[in-house]
Order: sequence, then structure tokens, then C-alpha cells
Amino acid sequence: MSNAACYVPLSAPRSWATDTSAGSLALIGPSTVAAASASTPAPAFAALNDPQEWPAFSKEVTGCEGVWESHLVVQGMHCAACAMTVEQLLRQVPGVRSARVNAASQRASVVWDSARVLPAQWMGRAQVQGYALLPANDAFAIDTRRKERRAALWRWLVAGLCMMQVMMYAYPAYTAAPGDLSGEMEQLLRWASWVLSLPVLLFSCGPFFSSAWRDLLARRIGMDLPVALGIAVTFAVSSAGTFEPSGPFGREVYFDSLTMFVFFLLSGRWLELRLRERTAGALDAVFNRLPDSVERLGADGSAERIAARRVRVGDVLRVYAGETFPADSVVLEGSSAVDEAMLTGESRPLPRGPGDSVLAGSHNLAGTLRVRVDKAGKDTRFAAIVALMHSAATEQPQVARLADRMAKPFLIGVLLAAGLVALWWWPRDPAHAMMLAVAVLVVTCPCALSLATPAAMLAAAGRLATDGVLVRRLQALETLAKVDTVVFDKTGTLSSDAQQLDSAQCRPGTHPDDALALAAALASHSRHPAARALCEAVQATAQLGICQAIAVQETAGQGLSGQVMRASAGRGGHLDAAHCDTDAVFDVGSGEAPRAMRLGTAAFCGVADAQSDSSSVMLADDQGWMATFQLREVLRPDAHSCVQDLQSMGLKVHLLSGDAPGPVALAAAQLGIAPERAHARCTPADKLARLRQLQSQGATAAMVGDGMNDAPVLAGAHVAFAFGNASSLAQSQADLVVLGSALGAITDTLVLARKTMRVVRQNLLWALLYNAACVPLAVAGFLPAWLAGLGMASSSLLVVANAARLARSSQTDSAMQALQNSKPVFARP
Amino acid sequence: MDILYLLIPLSVSLVFFILGGLWWAIDRGQFDDIESEGARILEDEAM
Repeated sequence: MSNAACYVPLSAPRSWATDTSAGSLALIGPSTVAAASASTPAPAFAALNDPQEWPAFSKEVTGCEGVWESHLVVQGMHCAACAMTVEQLLRQVPGVRSARVNAASQRASVVWDSARVLPAQWMGRAQVQGYALLPANDAFAIDTRRKERRAALWRWLVAGLCMMQVMMYAYPAYTAAPGDLSGEMEQLLRWASWVLSLPVLLFSCGPFFSSAWRDLLARRIGMDLPVALGIAVTFAVSSAGTFEPSGPFGREVYFDSLTMFVFFLLSGRWLELRLRERTAGALDAVFNRLPDSVERLGADGSAERIAARRVRVGDVLRVYAGETFPADSVVLEGSSAVDEAMLTGESRPLPRGPGDSVLAGSHNLAGTLRVRVDKAGKDTRFAAIVALMHSAATEQPQVARLADRMAKPFLIGVLLAAGLVALWWWPRDPAHAMMLAVAVLVVTCPCALSLATPAAMLAAAGRLATDGVLVRRLQALETLAKVDTVVFDKTGTLSSDAQQLDSAQCRPGTHPDDALALAAALASHSRHPAARALCEAVQATAQLGICQAIAVQETAGQGLSGQVMRASAGRGGHLDAAHCDTDAVFDVGSGEAPRAMRLGTAAFCGVADAQSDSSSVMLADDQGWMATFQLREVLRPDAHSCVQDLQSMGLKVHLLSGDAPGPVALAAAQLGIAPERAHARCTPADKLARLRQLQSQGATAAMVGDGMNDAPVLAGAHVAFAFGNASSLAQSQADLVVLGSALGAITDTLVLARKTMRVVRQNLLWALLYNAACVPLAVAGFLPAWLAGLGMASSSLLVVANAARLARSSQTDSAMQALQNSKPVFARP
Repeated sequence: MDILYLLIPLSVSLVFFILGGLWWAIDRGQFDDIESEGARILEDEAM
């Protein structure tokens, strides 16, 4: 069994040894391995045939018993034609009543009859054609999201349409020569403007008023409060001007400015909603996935595929290579290597055999294991990490928003100015005093001020999205600009999964190159990371093929054994032993006699060596120990430049890893991170404690991580980065998700965030200057309504245009420009 | 120019009429997916 299992990766389309995305493999591993291997576990979505799983993504159609409507995420669609194809595929399945696929949101809804068909059947149908259907686990949230989206669109359209029409009515008042417009006609136009402003106020401004009201109840001042006040005052004054032109508020009307202002604000919010939806869409595959399923063995030996969360203590499970352990368990039978990097940060595969325990969330790399569940659900290490993450998320420090911090002094200043003006004029002419105070309130309506931040943030987020960085929380950009400390996880973030040969020690009389050639002959039969590292080292010296191995047996998680001999000199180099039949090609007569050799752990090679650890591989022959190869992990190629760039930008770089002190110190030294800032053997709680300590010292920290063990610290950091191939738990806590694996994206995002905040500050300064200039003019009575409206519009447009600069430059140009703009911090020695 | 006294109120009611139409369209979900609806006409299956 173990022999067959060790060859599975050779025929699998994606092998775990070459794939750096261990995290995403954990998500889709079971299904891909199932498709590829001969000893096929049942398809992973078979677990969806269990009616207990249905309510997570489906709803029973009211009135029709047994008929369900399911919501799904469709992957692999490129255009509207794909959507039609998927629809037709689903409709052809007997028992499917209707299917609708939305190309824009990549969602599908399927109505099916549970008496005639089961989910796995129609899901499998689309799978065959290359589309992947995943249950949308947020189905209950879909309705709310759709309602929210429709309401936002409705508000925006009402504001837009009414604005256009009100502009039309306002036009004659601006352009008519004195005397052309009769008083009655002007009154009629004002009346019409008032009627059309009413829906804008009642429908479109709802969010501003409700948010301002919430702020008032919570006794804090946000940007929505001055906005709501401005809207309310402007409408009240204009209404008074319309119906009581001789009243205390004067006869000026500002309906056109009001509707335009609201339309601008809503346009910003609508774009923000669209951006958020697109970001959510790109992450759908992460948050909506097949329930992790596992094969449970009955007492009679029968196998049944069940959802992982239904696993109970005492169950006996069969876990195939490539699958994730659903619960903390004890191995009963079989041997394998497990990858605990996601849980502990340990970078090397760990051997596991009968009697050993395995952790929930860790990854079975090599052989098939029969395990008995020890702890399930809330008692596992994995669940403890999730609990820690949730508590960290509630205590996440918030950096006050710049615009909200300005709102309070702004509001106080405006109210003070209006009050002073009224006080000053009251003794002389109460009516005039009232009019002027109101004029001050109207012209200071914070249009540009409230657009300043969102416009810049949206432009920056749009640019980042095209560069492959998804912004899940727009405010994170603002916090990111203030960051002075970057904390990295090591395994999977700064380092890749691959290993590299570091050094070799041999017994006297053996040349290291010879030992390596012998080891590589065995190693070329395995896809274990350590074996690949040995093969690559030999390839570098062009000696692969000098030795040949036959009758190679792999003991999963332990090592390889076989007969090794020196091939004839002429054969060297051209044999790729992993892919050819060694018996047929090997020329037995030309070399020396074959020697039985073993390659693997100290125990496997029968060597008692106190010094050996998991980072070393032993080679032994019939005389015992022959050589020890020390391996080290490979840092990502751009890790060094990323850390250097961050440090030259004035940021402190820390390394928090769960790995052993040796590899951590080595990585820190290679990357130029000070030893006192690199910490090894950190549990998730340790990591969080270290971060808290940094934060209590006044640091604003960004965290970059990928494993489940990083999730709590990601949740607790000011800003969190995760990569597209990180574990879903880590991604769920990230503010920014970097698609792909380029570490350079982090530096780029940081530079852009700083640039964005520069633009925001320029915008706010301009908006404040405009208001500061307007107040004296309004007080002196030099600011007619049309000029105030024009000023408002042009200042808003200026703010938006300034923000658009962030989105303008193309990818490579902008990166270069950003580098140049942020001199001198980027000047390298 | 007296006709304006009729036309302006008429334009106001026209705006409300259009708004009503928009509300109907949004509520029926016509703006939920504006990409694939255009391609639906190319489907060759009989309805």
C-alpha cells in the first residue's frame, strides 16, 4: 500500500512537492488527488448528498416539498457565453427544475427536486466540463447583499435624475437677462425644483441622516454629521426661500447645489460598493468551498465519505495523501509524513507512524493513514487557534480616521462662525443676521471635504486591484500609511516549500560528491522535498546519472532503500531515472556490483546519531553510516530585496516564526533582520503576545502571514496582509490579500498607501482653504447663491481629479515613479 | 410662453413617471446582471 501511495504524486497533475501553494492545496487537495490517483477516494462533493449539509447553501422552496433552491459559486467562467453553457449543462440534468447563472457575480442558483436528483450529480455534471461549482455558504447573506445593492442603485439613480432636472429648472435663473424672467415664472421653476428635491432628500439622503443620527447617539462626531447638517440646512433655507421669499431666511434657493452635492457623494458610495463586491467576488473561492470531507470506516470495514465537521471522537478514518486531518487523532496503521507548517510554522515534513498523534488542520503528504479520532470540534488545537483569533479581532486597535478627526473641529468652527455672525448682526437687524448665519452654514456644506478621502482611497484601491492586491477594508490603506513596523511570518511567507542542500559530512575515505551521487540515485525515485533537494544539488554538478538505483522502495515519511551501482561512464547524464524503467535501461555488466543502500532518517538508516534532526538526511550502506546531508529551506527570491526595501523606507522588520531557532536565525541573517527582532518557536499565542508588546510600545504594525497559526496575530495587527495561497483562516483576517506570491507587492502597496494619504491631505487642505475663503465672503454678503454653487462643484471636481492621479499611471511606470517619488528613503548605498 | 405653465408641471410628473419605471426595473432585478442578459438571445434552445 505504501509503495503504491508514494508514486501517486508522480502521476498527479499537481504534485505537492513542486507546488508552493500548500494552503490552497489544503482546500482543493482532496478533489484533485481524487481525480488523479488510481486508489480513488469518492469525490469530495459526495459529502453534499447529506441532507444535513443542504441548509448551509440552499433553501427549501416554499410550497413545494422536497424542492430546494441552492446558491453556488461558479469557477472557471470567463464570459457571458460560459454562463450560458453552465446553465444548459445544469438544466439537462433530470430533476433540475431551473438554473440561472450570473456572469457578473459568478453565482448560480439552481432549483432541484431532492426526490429525483442529489447535489453531487448536478455538481459533477459541470465539473466534467471544466467548471467548478462550490456551495455558496454565505447564501443567507446573499439576499441582504442584493437588497443593499438595489437600494444603493436606486438612491443613486434618484439623485442623478432629479439633479439633472433641477439643473434644467435652475438654468433660466442663471442665464436670463434682468426682466426676462417674470416673477411668476421664477416662482413656478422654484416650486418644480422643490418638488424634485424632495425625493432626493427623502430617499437618497437616508444613509447620511441615519449615520449622523447613530453618531449623535454614540456621542461622537464623524464626517456624516456636518454633511447631514449641511443638507438639512440647505434644504430648509431653500424651501423657505421658495414659499416665503420675504421671510427671515431670504429668497435665495440652492436646490441645484444640494442635489448635485448628494449625487456626487452617492456616486462615491456606489463606486465603493461595486469595488467591495468585486473584491468579494475574487475571494469567493476562498470563503465558499466544499465542506472538508473525510472517509469514515465502519466497524465492518465499509467506507463512507462524510463532512469533516460530523467527525466524532472514536471514529476511525482513512486519510489519503493530499488530504487534511479533520481532527486531532492517533495513527492506527500506515506511515506517512505530515506538514504542520500551517499550524506550527515547522517548515519540514514530520514522519508519522502507528501510535503517533496528528493534529487537525495538518496535511497528510505521503501515505494513506488509518487514524482514530482523539479530539474533535472545539477541543482541537485548530479550534483553539480560531478562538484566539476571534478574541484578537475584537481587540484590534483602530487608528482614528483623518477625515473623522477633522470633522469635529470643522463642525465646531462652522457653528461658531455662524453663531458669531448672527450675534454680531442681531442687535442691528435680526432678519439680516439670520440670513447671514444661514448663508455661512450653506456655503460651508462640506462637499469637497467629505469627498476628499473616499475619492483618493477608491482610486488607489482600483489601481491595487489591477496590480493583484485586493483591498478588503478601504480604511486599511490609511492605517498602512502610518505603519512603522512590519512583522513577517517565516514559513510559507518569506520562504518557499522547497529545500536546498547546505552541507554534507562523510565517513573517512568517501568523497562528498560520490556520496551525493549515490544518494541522488535513490532520491530521484521520490518526490519528497528532501529528495528533490538532493537531486537538484547533483544536477548542479552535472553528476546525475553516474549512479543508478534499482528495486527502490519508499517507506513514506522514513526514507528510501534500494540497490545502487555505478553506471558505465558513457551513460552518465542522460538518464532521468524517475521517468524510465530502470531495469530495461540499466547495463548491469558495466559497473561494479550493486550495493544495498538506505537514504532517510537516522532511525531508518539504522544509525544512532544524537546530532540528527529533521533537517538532515542520512545515507547508509551495508557498512553503516556513510554520509549526512544538511538541508536548509529556500527563501523566496524576492524576500531579501523586500526586507531591504522596507528597512530603507524606515520601517522596522520583525520575524515571528513557529519554526526551530536554527532555521529562523539563518533566515534572519540572510535577510538582514536583526537577531533580537527574530523570534523562533512561537505558538500562535506567543506571536500575538509579541505583537501586543510591540503595539504597547507605540508601534503601528502590519503583519504578513499565511498559516492558520498566523490568523490570531493577523486579526490583532493594525493592518494584515495575506497571500492568495494562504490558508483561508489567515485570509479571512487579512485587510489586504495579495494574489500571486510576489513579496514586492507589499512594498508597492505601502508606497501607494503613503502616496494616497498625501493626496488625501492635499484634498483636505484644499477643501478647508475653500471653506475658509467662503465664510468671510458669505458674511460680507459677496457670495450669491450661484457663485456658492459653482464653487462647491468646482472644488469637488478638483478633489476628484486630484485623486484620479493615483489611478492614472500604468503598472510598471507607476512602480518606477513611486520609487522615485519616495526618495530619499529608497536611495541605496 | 403661457404653455410653460403647463409644460413645467408636466415635466415634473414625467420625472416621477420615469423614476417609477426605474424603481420597477430595479425591483425586478433588471440591473442585477447586465452582462449575461445581452447574450441570452443567442441561446438556441426552445423556450
